Amino acid sequence: MALPIATAAAAIAIFIADTVTDVDIAYAVLYVVVVLMAARFLSARGVMLVTAGCVGLTVVSYLLTATTGRPFEGIVNALISLGAILLTAVLAMQAQKATEALQKQASLLNQTHDSIFVRDMNDIITYWNRGAQERYGWRAEEAIGKSSHELLRTIFPIPLGELRGQVLRTGRWEGELKHYKADGTEVIAASRWALQRDAREQPAAILETNNDITERKRREEEIDRLNQELAKRAEGLDQELAKRAAELETTNKELESFAYSVSHDLRAPLRHTVGFAELLQKQASSSLDDKSRRYMQLILESSKRMGNLIDDLLGFSRIGRAETNKSEVDMESLVGEVVAELGQETKDRNIDWNIGPLPVCYGDRSMLKVVLMNLLSNAVKFTRIRKRVEIEIGCADRCEDQAELFVRDNGAGFDMQYVDKLFGVFQRLHLAEEFEGTGIGLATVQRIIHRHGGEVRAEGAVDQGAAFYFSLPRARKQERERGGTL
Amino acid sequence: MNNLGRILMVEDDPKDVELTLTALEEYHLANEVVVTRDGQEALDYLRRRGQYSNRSQANPAVILLDLKLPKVDGLEVLQQIKADERLKMVPVIVLTSSHQEKDVMRSYKLGVNAYVVKPVDFHEFVNAVKELGVFWAVVNEPPPGSIRKGQ
Repeated sequence: MALPIATAAAAIAIFIADTVTDVDIAYAVLYVVVVLMAARFLSARGVMLVTAGCVGLTVVSYLLTATTGRPFEGIVNALISLGAILLTAVLAMQAQKATEALQKQASLLNQTHDSIFVRDMNDIITYWNRGAQERYGWRAEEAIGKSSHELLRTIFPIPLGELRGQVLRTGRWEGELKHYKADGTEVIAASRWALQRDAREQPAAILETNNDITERKRREEEIDRLNQELAKRAEGLDQELAKRAAELETTNKELESFAYSVSHDLRAPLRHTVGFAELLQKQASSSLDDKSRRYMQLILESSKRMGNLIDDLLGFSRIGRAETNKSEVDMESLVGEVVAELGQETKDRNIDWNIGPLPVCYGDRSMLKVVLMNLLSNAVKFTRIRKRVEIEIGCADRCEDQAELFVRDNGAGFDMQYVDKLFGVFQRLHLAEEFEGTGIGLATVQRIIHRHGGEVRAEGAVDQGAAFYFSLPRARKQERERGGTL
Repeated sequence: MNNLGRILMVEDDPKDVELTLTALEEYHLANEVVVTRDGQEALDYLRRRGQYSNRSQANPAVILLDLKLPKVDGLEVLQQIKADERLKMVPVIVLTSSHQEKDVMRSYKLGVNAYVVKPVDFHEFVNAVKELGVFWAVVNEPPPGSIRKGQ
């Protein structure tokens, strides 16, 4: 209220001085003070009214005093005063407009949640928005005029000198800062600095916008911590696994060397049994009766069977230990090879071999030969009861990467009820006097196919033949095209 | 003990000794066999030490060596023979029940002349021993300084 009263009082005082006093001074010029004062609290329209009032008063004073003497000097004085008043009014209104624009901007900046402040080149705060007040806890009046870095106890990621250099060079800087609030809590801020230059292109101020990322940072750190913990746990698990694997390997090796030395040491007494039984048979057969001769024969047969078992077992354990030496294997030519080797056993028999087109697979040739040898000699063996024998070897396409081959016969077959036992070691579904064998062949087949990443399965029915399926990785396409002999 | 044996057999198992001798009998080679029961005794025989200090200087025409032996094992005996200037030319046949790859490898690295796995089957065993005996003690021309047939 004081300012309008003072303004009015000033106007009245000037009017009286201008009208009443006789002194020849352009008192009316002093009306500029009235206009300037009015501009402090009135809008543009008000200022214009006040200005009009001042002009009116000047004119009235002139008319009242013009009669007293030198009218020419009076009119010059009045015109100068009027000019000064009007010019002042225009400038005051312009200044008012500029201030309004600034206030508008400031209130806009106050709307944002980011904390924004402006500091001069000595880091003294000159503007402080509401976001900054809310974030840091100092009001604008408290912050303005203070050094921002001292107020906020800023911790910089790089030395302040370098930071300033960068801002002066490029006009901006972005990075993470640490600040402290009025209550002493820590704030991590994503800070953006922008350099403002004055009309002469000299650095004038820095606008600093700070985004509170404390929570985000905390979460990131939490995630990091959890990740590290997880990694540590995974590492622990890995170590545990590696330890277990090593233990398993040791156990396996022990088992294998045990199996080997057992089989090995079993051979010596067996050799002696067979050897001396034969010697006895040779020496005493003429003096033995039929029964005793049969006993001798049984001793020899049993010993031989045991020898075969030991040999097969040794072979089986060797497959577990041996390194695989993988390459492309043309299954069709391999089947041909095995069939030819079986020729001795099959020459007196009427076997109809039906060998379909077979793929090129990827595996250990000598192991795959063992697979085929076992399956084909089984087929030959279990079809002995047939007059017309059909053995089919073919490929049932399964998928791109794997081929499923099968060996099908029209032999004795088996009861599907016992299919799970087929591939076990020493598992036999037929009596030894029907079909000889040690019960290790199919276990060996399964072991080899598993080592190639494939599967084995069997289908059959009593007296209606059997089919054995095994899958193997195909040789890759380009390799097949290059070396294909299909 | 026949000190004039052309075949030195190093074998600890008496049953294997008997079977081997039986097999060699057929070719009347059994009398030519000297049997030592462990690696130490075999080396003593070859170097004419201890109980063998009085035997003639000549080397056997062939050595049949088992690997699994008491005291000094077969590979050690083989190594010592092949390292000995006076003995290294004597043919050594490893006759064993082991076809463990590392035994085969070690033996060949040490310079063995042949490696034979004792077959379980008696006939095969007899045949193997006979062939070995006939080839190395009769057909093969032994290095100078060996006991010769009829000596």
